[in-house]
Amino acid sequence: MNLRESLRISWRSIRSHKLRSTLTTIGVIIGIAAVITFMVLGGGFTESVVGDIEAEQEPVMTVQTQTEPEAGVGIMLVETPIYTERDVEALEAIDDVEFVAPDGSLELAQTDLGDEQVTGVIGAQATTADRFEHSTFVEGEPFEGEDEAVINEQTSQLFDDNVSAGDELSLTFEDGETADVTVSGVVEAELGEQTPPQLFVPVDSYYTTTVETPRGEETRAYPSLVVGTERIDDVDPAQEAVTEYLEDDSDAAELKQDDHEMQAQTVEDTIEQFTDIVDQLTVFIGAVAAIALVVGSIGIANIMIVSVTERTRQIGIMKAVGATKRDVMQLFLVESVILGVIGSIVGVAAGLGAGYLGVWLLEWPMAYPLDWVVIAIVVGIGVGVVSGLYPAWRGARVDPIEALRHE
Amino acid sequence: MTLNGEPTTAAVTAANVRRTYRLAEPVHAVDGISLSLGDGSFTAVMGPSGSGKSTLMNLIGCLDTPTAGRVTVSGEAIGALSDAERARLRGTEIGFVFQTFNLMPRLTAAENVTLPLVFHDAVEASRHERAEQLLERVGLGDRLEHTPSELSGGQRQRVAIARALANDPTLVLADEPTGNLDTETGAEVMDLFAELNRAGTTILLVSHERQVAEYADHIVHLVDGYLEEIEHLGAPRDVAVGHQALTATQPSDEEVQTDP
Repeated sequence: MNLRESLRISWRSIRSHKLRSTLTTIGVIIGIAAVITFMVLGGGFTESVVGDIEAEQEPVMTVQTQTEPEAGVGIMLVETPIYTERDVEALEAIDDVEFVAPDGSLELAQTDLGDEQVTGVIGAQATTADRFEHSTFVEGEPFEGEDEAVINEQTSQLFDDNVSAGDELSLTFEDGETADVTVSGVVEAELGEQTPPQLFVPVDSYYTTTVETPRGEETRAYPSLVVGTERIDDVDPAQEAVTEYLEDDSDAAELKQDDHEMQAQTVEDTIEQFTDIVDQLTVFIGAVAAIALVVGSIGIANIMIVSVTERTRQIGIMKAVGATKRDVMQLFLVESVILGVIGSIVGVAAGLGAGYLGVWLLEWPMAYPLDWVVIAIVVGIGVGVVSGLYPAWRGARVDPIEALRHE
Repeated sequence: MTLNGEPTTAAVTAANVRRTYRLAEPVHAVDGISLSLGDGSFTAVMGPSGSGKSTLMNLIGCLDTPTAGRVTVSGEAIGALSDAERARLRGTEIGFVFQTFNLMPRLTAAENVTLPLVFHDAVEASRHERAEQLLERVGLGDRLEHTPSELSGGQRQRVAIARALANDPTLVLADEPTGNLDTETGAEVMDLFAELNRAGTTILLVSHERQVAEYADHIVHLVDGYLEEIEHLGAPRDVAVGHQALTATQPSDEEVQTDP
């Protein structure tokens, strides 16, 4: 029997049990739709973060310490101050490196602009003016004096009257220290929409954290450094040299804990790392959603077995008039594959729809996970074959003599 | 159909056929039957229930294979055939008519008639023509698109007969074709069989009603799986054919052959 013929006969049989066929495919639809939805959301999330960053590449990298979390996926930043003044000087001496700016975190409790207060939220960093070498200033310029500060756009927007250059901010640190600073400039957000509000002050005036080096001297140390090069092409060789120094000669290598890892990351590396993490999460959630698909295929198998039992007599008739085992098997397999394919096509459509609604609500860009759409269709066919195989085999095995006696 | 005593070729032969079911102890449902159905013959099989009628039908209809002995359909020994080959033989050489009609409930009359053609890739267009022609022949030219539930019992059996003819079979096997019909409708259906036989169709009929069996030229009487007697009816139209076409030998142990 040719395929067209079995398609026709199987399709008719599906249509003659509309409600049953619909309910059966819903299992597959839910499974596929769930997977596709999560893929769209994952893609949209990545796009929303990475899309902004990729727009402009700056010739800078961040030296920081990472560790793997005890549970779950991803990476954790370690805030231990291990990069000493000596490390900063050594890195600055590398040929391709233009500047090294420390990033010393300060614990800012409260920020006042006139009568308006913002508690917490703002991340305060002690750094040097070099850090802004490649930054784009929305207004103003890097700090020069010791009572000046640079903020980013996010911080500026935290206040009702956006903070602008020349405004006076009163800072209160966690340890009770206070300081009044003048905003010298506002920089563009480094990581697009996702950038946290930041405030930068001169390291010499505000940063006091010190560690004892292996050589026994007390020196300032920072949890991370910003390393800049002159041109974008210098980043790669500089990154190599920085990494080499950190691993071989740095104080940081001595000071860090064994399970901590030092990294010189370019913006590109950060994006890649971030994308990897989101991808892992997306696949993990998708795998959970795929359980629905397994349930769905059991549904198809179940209904096909019922269908074979119901049609025992018809199988007998077909065999009496010349149908081979293969013909019977083909009929039932085609039927279950049709159910699987319809399920996956509707599932993909529903998944894209639900995903679209999701990214729209979250204001992320829409992502079309084309590879997953293809996978979903292939899986749909696979589900049809796998769940139809046993019922079809049972149908093919029906003894026509018995079947025709079947009332 | 051959006339005037010329030898006819056998459509179906059975030689020392035995079919044994392994129950608590072996039961010989058919126990050494030999017979030969000539081309164009009309034969009835009679016997009480349990006499082996149905088993014999299944063997000749290629639904079953003999435990011992040899059955040939159109010259092919069915014991040697694979499942798929027997299915093909059923599709091309045998037409079944059942007591309970056994039509596909969701297919129209025309589709039911051409069902045997579906399984060996006949072109769809020519199939419909064939269905029209066959349903015309059984008097249902105006019922092509009706489903079985929209037809009367007699009409359903006519559709089944048309289906049995779809592949121009060597043999039409009718198992109690009037069993679910009233006397009058049953007689009409038997008239149709007689008419088909006159036009050359070879028919093997199973019935427990003498009245129905008498439409045939010969009646084979079975008892307990044995062939008890072959009765030749004196229908003047083809006595000669009948005698030529049907011979029976009593089984003897020495003669039993086994199919590979």
